[in-house]
Amino acid sequence: MASAASVRARRLRAALTYANLTPFVFFALFPFYFMFVTSFKRNAELYNLKAVPFWIQTGAITDHYDFLFRRTEFLIWMKNSLIVSVIAMSISLVIAILAGYSLARLRYRGVGSFGTAVFITYLVPPTLLFLPLSQVVNWLGLSDSIWALVVTYPTFLVPFSTWLLMGYFRTVPREVEECALVDGASRLQTLLRIVLPMAVPGVVCAALFGFTLCWNEFIYALTFVSQSGNKTAVVGVTADLIRGDIYYWGSLMAGAVLASVPIVVIYVWFLDYYVSGLTAGAVKG
Amino acid sequence: MAVSQRALEAAGLGGGRGRLERLRQWREQEHVFGYGLILPALVLLTCLVAYPFGMAIYFSLSDYWVGSPGQFVGLTNYREILGNDVFRQTVQNSFVFTGFALTLKTLLGVWLAVLLARDVRFKRVLRGAVLLPWVIPTALSTLGWWWMFDSLYSVVNWTAIRLGLISAPGPNWLGQTNYAMAAVIIVNVWRGLPFFAITVLAGLMSIPREFYEAAEVDGASSRQRFWHVTLPLLKPVLAVVILFSTIFTFSDFNIVQILTRGGPVNTTHLFATLAYQIGLQGGNLGQGAAISLFLFPMLAMVVFLQLRYIRRD
Amino acid sequence: MKRATRRQFLETSAIASVGMGSWLALGKPPAYAQKRELTFLSWNHFVPASDDELRKQAEAFSKQAGVSVRVDTIAHLQLMAKFAAEAQSQSGHDMIRTHDAIPFLFESQLADVGDVVDKLGKQHGGWYPFAAEANQTKSGWRAVPWFWISFPATYNMAHFKKAGLETPKTWAELLSHGRTLKKQGNPVGIAISHCGDANTTAWSVLWSYGAKVIEADGKTPAINSDKTAQVIEWWKELFRDAMEPEVLSWDDASNNRFILSGKGSWIHNPISPYNAALKEKMPIADDINHHTSPAGPAGIHSAVPILGLGVWKFSKNIDVAKEFIQFLFRKENYDAWIGASNAFNHPPLRHFADHPIWARNPKFAMLPKEAEYAHPRGWPAKPSDAAQRIDEAFVLPDMTAKAVNGMPTKRAMDWAQDQVARAIKGQLKVG
Repeated sequence: MASAASVRARRLRAALTYANLTPFVFFALFPFYFMFVTSFKRNAELYNLKAVPFWIQTGAITDHYDFLFRRTEFLIWMKNSLIVSVIAMSISLVIAILAGYSLARLRYRGVGSFGTAVFITYLVPPTLLFLPLSQVVNWLGLSDSIWALVVTYPTFLVPFSTWLLMGYFRTVPREVEECALVDGASRLQTLLRIVLPMAVPGVVCAALFGFTLCWNEFIYALTFVSQSGNKTAVVGVTADLIRGDIYYWGSLMAGAVLASVPIVVIYVWFLDYYVSGLTAGAVKG
Repeated sequence: MAVSQRALEAAGLGGGRGRLERLRQWREQEHVFGYGLILPALVLLTCLVAYPFGMAIYFSLSDYWVGSPGQFVGLTNYREILGNDVFRQTVQNSFVFTGFALTLKTLLGVWLAVLLARDVRFKRVLRGAVLLPWVIPTALSTLGWWWMFDSLYSVVNWTAIRLGLISAPGPNWLGQTNYAMAAVIIVNVWRGLPFFAITVLAGLMSIPREFYEAAEVDGASSRQRFWHVTLPLLKPVLAVVILFSTIFTFSDFNIVQILTRGGPVNTTHLFATLAYQIGLQGGNLGQGAAISLFLFPMLAMVVFLQLRYIRRD
Repeated sequence: MKRATRRQFLETSAIASVGMGSWLALGKPPAYAQKRELTFLSWNHFVPASDDELRKQAEAFSKQAGVSVRVDTIAHLQLMAKFAAEAQSQSGHDMIRTHDAIPFLFESQLADVGDVVDKLGKQHGGWYPFAAEANQTKSGWRAVPWFWISFPATYNMAHFKKAGLETPKTWAELLSHGRTLKKQGNPVGIAISHCGDANTTAWSVLWSYGAKVIEADGKTPAINSDKTAQVIEWWKELFRDAMEPEVLSWDDASNNRFILSGKGSWIHNPISPYNAALKEKMPIADDINHHTSPAGPAGIHSAVPILGLGVWKFSKNIDVAKEFIQFLFRKENYDAWIGASNAFNHPPLRHFADHPIWARNPKFAMLPKEAEYAHPRGWPAKPSDAAQRIDEAFVLPDMTAKAVNGMPTKRAMDWAQDQVARAIKGQLKVG
């Protein structure tokens, strides 16, 4: 009797949770659904005031995707995005792991001000930096190549990752490290073999975060790269498919949907790492 | 190895092994190792952030035009900006935008996190779905929103009219001052909410179960448990999330640039979009840089206050 | 177990990054110029076929001159950021597509192209004065006028017929017609917002009423006048009686959608909606027609967009760029290019204006005549970067928007006067 009541209570509770979650999920997903549907509509339907916007009435077409693949360099843009994001993220991660460990665990003069300095750089808006940076990029001989992005993206990844990893490294018990040092391991070995493996969720979280920021970056990618074949997905789609007063809404939406896929896949894959990585990093930062 | 060692010794370069050992010992000193590890980060940030930042400050103090270096003019640009009522409007907009967006994100974010933390079926799917707006390129998703707010084809209005909530033609989302501000805030909340929710969720999950069990033993209702156990323990996480979100929101560029370009009549301009308009589109780099730089002390202040708060806890 | 998976994860990611590294190493290294290449940064043409033709000609030139030519096109709103970054870093493309006052804004950065301008002018019957003025700074020609875009009225014949109306000859007539049309459910539409079309129409209407924004001396703001007040009153009535509030949020594409949706009856815009309707085979193409931009008490005036071809001073290929420009201006090439744009691109050289395309379609017949009404922005002052700033800050549409939203006309004008003064004061000093 009592257990039946508690089952009912639990079910009610679950139903309530779902009911409360529905608006959130709807709010989060509707724009994607809408973009998705738009990308399959005929232009005539798209511009028909009497059409129902929620679904496709006059038959789904793949012309917009065709256009994307045949008339633009979409696949190359995606490849560029992937290369830039992975390399920039990896470089930043290495730098951030070293810096984060140094700031979190080692005692030396100036460690506090270094920490603040690293964080402060995060506040400088890219819209302010991109012009002077374009000059630096040119000095480095990297104008109009994806390497310009690989070099500049770490500027906004390193501060955040460092900060996140600092929090994470602090959670690793000191005794573990000390044991390793006593056993004759060098400091670097201790970091790489003992501390780092314990911080994997934090590293994954920083990696995901970094990857996302790279993939989404717009202003540097727009200004440092011009050849269509060197563009990233975000810039390629917006720069090549927005045509003044006639927008290619269908292909624009198709591009937006497809450019989002890789990142969604990665997140679904690593979601748990992400959450648990944030737990330690953000909570104890 | 042996050969090279002997070669070294022959060359009179001192005892190789001892030298290596000394190097090792030197390297193993805490401060040497510490500086060594942080060096790459510092080099990177000095060359690619501090240096351009310094240049930007110089721009703001000079009569600098796109591509043509100007003379030092002191604080003229700043005075000029402060006298411009478009800038004053922008300051006001920025605070309204950040204030509303941040409040909404905090309230909804905590609520959403609490819901997501409950043990229900499809938990993974739900979390993934809610996270989507955060991970997808803003420059692209905002285009979708733009289409949804279109003056003629707005699906929002279409639905509301069909449901009888409003009469045709419905609000002109991007053309009326308050609606336009609401629209950019909605998109910002949509985009930033997942970051709040997931991070707070992470915070929730790190709260030890025993705390709740103890509260339950004491006969606390679920509401009481939320106010007296959950919330106080969430404070540090919240502070951090709010800190980051303030930075993101205050310096937002894409959403406004795509949706309204600062219109109608500059009532949605933010620092970044106004700086872009004056500095780049209008060519007055000096003033553009000065506008962007106004952002900096404000952010620094917010960060300072919040960091102090976090440290104190 | 947990540890094992972590280690596995580390190993996998290590392998993955090594793999990625080698893939990249095999990929394209940073491009160091192996072969001489001329690069041109242009916009995404509003009629895409025009860009196809341009690329075709670029290829033909590259075969002939033995220099490869690369044409990069991006969305028009993104061009300025690129220009600024290229001027700042002194690197990037060789040639750019300029617009409005860009030749003035980048006066010290663009190479002199006077020789090309002279030669082409002599060959092809001379340049229209408005096109010439927009590219000739005090220190010389900073761009070759490339083309201009006529800004006629585009209207829906069916709606006008239903209302029993002729096309409006004047802005005042547009207002009275508009009242009828709006009652019929077919309002007119002119953007009063932060977009390029809003600027163009705002300048045109002001001039038609004899108002001006800057005095002819180029130094004195002149927008605060009775004539401007008259224009603002006209806007207020037009907004209230003949348009819908949606014009306050329009971008450059909105009025096209407005007329193509079948709702709108009249817009002030280049011919791109008609061309889009033709291309998409929309039935509405038959109903759409064009007529000359309306007149005011001071006649017809039009602030047509004027585009040019500039060459950066830092370019190492200035001579090749000049050759390429002349190649584009060969009669057969230029004609083909006008044809590809389906009458959208208008020639700044008089002799090219006899292209058969305008005669062939009666809906285009009046377009070349628009040249008679055209001025560069800032007129009667000489064009300058101040006009660019007035446009980029959307001073004119914002003045109108403030007034239609209820701000007293006088205050709206005062506000605009202050903004114009700021734009002039910030003027770039060259030399």
